[in-house]
Amino acid sequence: MATFNETRKSIFPEGQDTWESISQRELPDMGSEEAVGILQSWNLHVFMRPAAAKDSSRAGNPILPSDIIFIAPPQV
Amino acid sequence: MLDLIIRNGTIVDGTGMPGYLGDVAVKDGKIVARGSILEPAALEIDAAGKTVSPGFIDPHTHFDAQLLWDGRAKPAIEHGITTIVPGNCSLSLAPLKAKHRMKLVGMFNQIEEMPIKAFEEGVEWNWETFEEFLSRIKKDLTINVAPLVGHSVLRLWVMGDDSMQRTANDEELGRMQELLRECLRNGAIGMSTSFVDMDETLQPVPSRYADQQELHALCEVLGEFNRILQIVHEFYDADITLARIDQLAEISLRHKITTTFSPLFVNVTENDSVNRIMARVDEQFKRGARVWPQVQTRPIDISFCFEVPSLLFIRLPSWYQMMRFGSHDDIKAALKDEAKRKQLVAEAATMSPMWDGLILRQVDSDANQQFVGKTLAEIAATRNTSTIDTMIDLSIEEDLQAHFLALNMGHTDNDIVGSLLANPRVHLGASDGGAHILSFSTYGDTGYLFSQFVRNCKALTVEEAVKKITLDTASIWGMNNRGLLHLGYAADITIFDAEQIDRGEEYYVQDVPGDGSRYVRDSVGIDTVIIGGEIAYRHGEYTESAIGSIIPGA
Repeated sequence: MATFNETRKSIFPEGQDTWESISQRELPDMGSEEAVGILQSWNLHVFMRPAAAKDSSRAGNPILPSDIIFIAPPQV
Repeated sequence: MLDLIIRNGTIVDGTGMPGYLGDVAVKDGKIVARGSILEPAALEIDAAGKTVSPGFIDPHTHFDAQLLWDGRAKPAIEHGITTIVPGNCSLSLAPLKAKHRMKLVGMFNQIEEMPIKAFEEGVEWNWETFEEFLSRIKKDLTINVAPLVGHSVLRLWVMGDDSMQRTANDEELGRMQELLRECLRNGAIGMSTSFVDMDETLQPVPSRYADQQELHALCEVLGEFNRILQIVHEFYDADITLARIDQLAEISLRHKITTTFSPLFVNVTENDSVNRIMARVDEQFKRGARVWPQVQTRPIDISFCFEVPSLLFIRLPSWYQMMRFGSHDDIKAALKDEAKRKQLVAEAATMSPMWDGLILRQVDSDANQQFVGKTLAEIAATRNTSTIDTMIDLSIEEDLQAHFLALNMGHTDNDIVGSLLANPRVHLGASDGGAHILSFSTYGDTGYLFSQFVRNCKALTVEEAVKKITLDTASIWGMNNRGLLHLGYAADITIFDAEQIDRGEEYYVQDVPGDGSRYVRDSVGIDTVIIGGEIAYRHGEYTESAIGSIIPGA
C-alpha cells in the first residue's frame, strides 16, 4: 500500500476477531479494558450497529469480516 | 436504402467536441453515415433546432423487478435514457433458487423500498439461473439492459442461510467463482457488492459477511472477463470512504479491473469531506487504479407517510421499528397510546428543527386540504400545538395517508455539486432508478443535469454534459460500441432541445402492480429517443417497435 496524505490507519478483521483480540494485536501497549473501550469509540459505525435479537440465529453484533476497523483516532 | 436519417440537427457526438450541424444515418441498428447525406431512407426525422446525441446511459438503477412487468423501465426512456444498469448494491434477481425468493423480496423491500405486493402481483417467478432471468426479461424489452450480478445473491445461492452468518470455505469460494463465471458468460456486465445495507430483519446483507479472500477471489473472476465491480459503501463517513477507496484501488490494481463506488454526496456541514475524498481518488488514479466515484445531479428530497418505513427515520429507532415492523393498526395504536406517543415525540425532538420545514404534501380528507402545501410549523401555529404533534395528529386523522415532503435534505450546494460533476474523475450516476418509489422520484436526473448544471450554473457545456452520460459511462463500464455517434456504433440516439431539456414536477401515480403508487417525473424537452435504430419514444408517445439488447450479452 502506498503512503498517502491524511491516512487514518485501519485494518480488516482476521478470522473470528473480537474487540479484545484486535485491541491486543493493534494496541498492545494499553491496558486491555482501556484498549477495547478506545477501539470501540473509534469504530462507532461497527460498535453501535443494531444487534440482532437474542433468539435470532444471528444474535448479537459481531464484528463482520468486511468491516473497516480504525486503529487510530479521527484526524479532524 | 437507409433505415433512418436524422437531418439538420446539431450533432453532439459524445466525445465532448463542439457540436456541429449535420445528418446522421442508421441502417440495421447501427450508425452508418454522418455529415450531409443524400441517400434516401425509409424514415426521416427533421431535427432542426434540436441536439442529436448518443442515448444517455444510467449506470445505477434497481429496475430489476420492474423489467418483469415493464420492459421500457418507464419513465427512463422519455428522459433520454437508452441503457440502464440494474443489479446494483449486491442485489440482483438472479441467480436465485426458488426457496430464496421471499428472502430477496424482503431485502429489496427493506433496502430499495420496493413494495412486497408489487412482487406478489407483478412477478411470475419462472427462473432460477442468470441466463433464465435474462431470457425472461428479453421477451418484452425495449430499453437496453447491462445487468450486474449481486454478491449477496451469489452467496445466498451457494451458502444458503449460512451466507448471513459466516465467511465462505474454500469449496464454497470455488462454487461462487464458477457461478459468477456462468453469469458473466451469459451477459452480466460485472458484480455489485454492499458494505452498508441491512436486510429485512435489520441485519447485514450476505455480502457483508465476506472476507477479503472472498472478495479478491470473485474479483479475480471479474478480471478474467475484464468486468466491473460496483460497491455501495459507508457514504455517511469520509474516513470510511477513504478506506474503501484504498480497498478498491488495491482490487483494481491486483485484478486489473474498473471499480466504482456510489453514492458520493455533498454534505453541507462537511464540505471538506468531498475534497479529501476526491484528493484520494486522484492519488489512486495516479497509481494506475480505476476507482470511480458516482455523483448524482439531484438534491435529496424525501417524501413519506407513516405507513411505510422511511429513510428519514432511520436514526430514530422507536419510530423506525414501529414503521418497519408494525401493521397499519399497530402504528395507529402506538400513535394513540399516551406513553408510547410521549416516547416517540421525545425521540423525534432530537432531530428538531427539521420537522418545522416539512411540507404537507397530500391528504385524503376534505378537512385537511386547506393545509396542503404548508409547512408543519405553519400548520402547527394554526392548531396551537407542536410540529411533531401536528405530524402525528394529521397522520391519525388521515388513517396514516398524510404524506409529507422534506426538501433539500442534502447534496444542495450547486457550486460544489457542479464542480464535482465537471471533474473528469467523477462518474455521473447514482439515480437509483426504479427504487425508493415512495420516497422520491428517481427519474429526471439527466434533464436536471442540463437545466441546473449546464444552463443555470454553467458548470458544464452541453457537449461536456452529453459526454458525461454517454461516452464516459460506456467507457467506464466497458460497453463497447456505445456512447458515441460514430460509424459502426449502436444507433442509440437521443434528440432533445438543449434550451428546454429538464425534469418535470414530481407527482404521485398509481401504476405499480398490486395497486401500488410511486413518485415520478415527466421529461421536458426530449423530442425523440431511438434504441437500436428504432424509435422508442417520440413527441410524448412510446412506440412498439424498439427492441432492447442485453449488454454485453452472451
